[in-house]
Amino acid sequence: MLTEVLEDSSLQLEERSSLPVIHIGMATCGLASGAKALHELILKEVASRNLAVKVVPTGCIGMCHNEPLVDITMPGKNRVSYRNVKPNTLTQILDAHFNKNEFAKKYAVCQIPVPGAEPFAGLPLMQEIPFFKGQVKIVSKRCGMIDPLSIDDYIAMDGYAALRKVLSSMTPEQVIDEVTKSGLRGRGGGGFPTGVKWNLTRKAPGPEKYVVCNADEGDPGAFMDRSVLEGDPHSVIEGMILAAFAVGHARKGYIYCRAEYPLAIKRLQKAINDARERNFLGDNILGSDLSFDLEIKEGAGAYVCGEETALLASLMGERGMPWPKPPFPAQKGVWGKPSVINNVETLANIGHIILGGGEWYASYGSEKTKGTKTFALTGSIKNTGLIEVPAGTPLREIVFSIGGGMVEKKIPFKAAQLGGPSGGCIPTSGLDTPVDFENVVSAGAIMGSGGIVVMDEAACIVDTAKFFLKFTQDESCGECTPCRVGSKIMLDILTRITEGKGQEGDLDELVRLSMYIKSNSLCGLGGAAPNPVLSTIRYFREEYEAHIRDKRCPGTVCNDLIKYVVIEEDCTTCGLCEPVCPSGSVTWEKGEVAHIDLTTCIRCKACVDACKFRAII
Amino acid sequence: MSQTKHIEVDQDFIENLCDEFGNREGTVVQILQRIQEKYGYVPADALDMIGEYLEIPKSKMYGVLTFYSQFYREPRGKYVLKICVGTACHVRGAGLLVDKVKEELKIEPGENTEDMLFTLEPVSCLGSCALAPMAMVTDTAYGKLSPDKMLGLIKDLESEHLSASEPA
Repeated sequence: MLTEVLEDSSLQLEERSSLPVIHIGMATCGLASGAKALHELILKEVASRNLAVKVVPTGCIGMCHNEPLVDITMPGKNRVSYRNVKPNTLTQILDAHFNKNEFAKKYAVCQIPVPGAEPFAGLPLMQEIPFFKGQVKIVSKRCGMIDPLSIDDYIAMDGYAALRKVLSSMTPEQVIDEVTKSGLRGRGGGGFPTGVKWNLTRKAPGPEKYVVCNADEGDPGAFMDRSVLEGDPHSVIEGMILAAFAVGHARKGYIYCRAEYPLAIKRLQKAINDARERNFLGDNILGSDLSFDLEIKEGAGAYVCGEETALLASLMGERGMPWPKPPFPAQKGVWGKPSVINNVETLANIGHIILGGGEWYASYGSEKTKGTKTFALTGSIKNTGLIEVPAGTPLREIVFSIGGGMVEKKIPFKAAQLGGPSGGCIPTSGLDTPVDFENVVSAGAIMGSGGIVVMDEAACIVDTAKFFLKFTQDESCGECTPCRVGSKIMLDILTRITEGKGQEGDLDELVRLSMYIKSNSLCGLGGAAPNPVLSTIRYFREEYEAHIRDKRCPGTVCNDLIKYVVIEEDCTTCGLCEPVCPSGSVTWEKGEVAHIDLTTCIRCKACVDACKFRAII
Repeated sequence: MSQTKHIEVDQDFIENLCDEFGNREGTVVQILQRIQEKYGYVPADALDMIGEYLEIPKSKMYGVLTFYSQFYREPRGKYVLKICVGTACHVRGAGLLVDKVKEELKIEPGENTEDMLFTLEPVSCLGSCALAPMAMVTDTAYGKLSPDKMLGLIKDLESEHLSASEPA
């Protein structure tokens, strides 16, 4: 499937270039893995070797676990991708390509096909390796491929072609029709049909309208929007211009981006400036009667601002408190005017839908969730990163094929957390759930904006539920009582349970409170806050009961419940626990079972975390 | 926590800021962001001056200021150690990083070291979950951290500060 999309996207960039190209992944994930120093080193090496090459920083191709990534494209050859590149491997890689006319097999991950280029023998194609097999890249197809700072790179991969098409040959109604046909639904997690939303805003009375991009990606464990903003910022801008055209010539748009994403904001601002210079933004765009401009509004750290009405309040300089709907933003939004609010990924899809057609987009996905969805795949799995799959792909395929399975071979899968603080945990029995809006809800979680955190048996379900509740409790804006007080009481109960002070009846009380908070909260934050607790009680009741009745934490996470005893049968006498003990309480001799002296043990958990066999409980 | 001296607010700066933003709607958040950019926090004096200049009630200024977690009312250290405590970092040991900093620098979350060099600030998800646990210091991201690597980072920042303050 990926082949089709890749060929379709035609990597003209390399074709155009007669020079060799060195790409380096420089999104936040790359930078956090040392890409900046590596980039400097590449420039130095290139200069000292006197090479005529182009060095191009790119966004994230999704293989965050392999960062820093460096790709080399020699003229007439496929692009070769290298993982975890370090200074000493870099020299070997450059030697192979520039001195020996081959590739450095030891460090290569795959080769990315370049149309008309010669493949390398003995190296799998991108679409053949497990991480990419089964992925379909539409919204993320340019991420990691182009220089996000170059508007020409974007244009070379069909950028602003949708805008030209719309301005030269389509009416706003036709644009909305195409988006409706595509079946696209809000990718921020709400799942509201985008075409319907646009139509509502279009029909709202008044000449003054606004387009708002929700880039306040706050769910912990989710970074799909960051990847798109850092890797392909123009796609979001183009989507907003198309929205402005469709809803009735809106003149002004805002991108509300969270302050935790400084790099995304920087790249967006550069993209906006470049788009203005080429008249994709500004007055009479490309000679048409559409005039539209954009402004970035930086958030100031409040999760609730991802909720659309709270976002609008914040955008207008107020405390980010949600308001009851109706009125919906389509009727009364920014400055009281009709406004359309879409998530980053939703907007970045629009250009592709206009070019490929609504029917083409709808040919991917499941019955009620059309197209593709990006997911941030993290936690205790091998391949962590950003993926894009057709909606309805089974969870098992995402975790075990694309994700490569569990990171620790001996510790099995326990659950996947989907949908962040508003979502829930899906256990082993739910691994065959097709991941789309409806099926994930039946399984007790939500698809949400796309965060998937995989947990193994060494994770504690009660601790996870407590983590999310603490998060929502912190972030509750305090406006309505069920959310403000209810979440606090639930958190107190969960904290007691993890401290070994759980009582009979706690679970019933948690469920009762959950139901009350869900049905009486003002906005989505409160309404979904109990979900992580409800879904874990549904699937992992025994684990809660182990904490409450047996004062035992099966995942050995809750500090107060760990006994610091070595189980003889499980101890492999490997001795890993001994050197990590800061108080010298662990004694171990080669071939002997380790022993912990509880009189000196300071209960720091270093030995528990060091033991790969979970023999210390 | 050490008692830190508040700085003197530059009246001209505030007035210029008000002239730039004052006639536009809904710019309180942006004004506060600009003040924080300059001073590293929002001094109470600055808040009062703006309120008076733009005729915005004090209650509203404080309401906005205290709503958002990224506005600070106290001066902060030169290096703010933003340790991500999002889900992926949490399950991969972000708590151990926070503990290590607390132990090493003898400060609690939100506090500064006495020499005003460091501030410990656990933050919500920084969006580099694939490299959990991670931290960010002055917009530079550090991935795949461990308590020992965290310690190394603190030492590196200390020596960076020393070499910067040495006379040339």
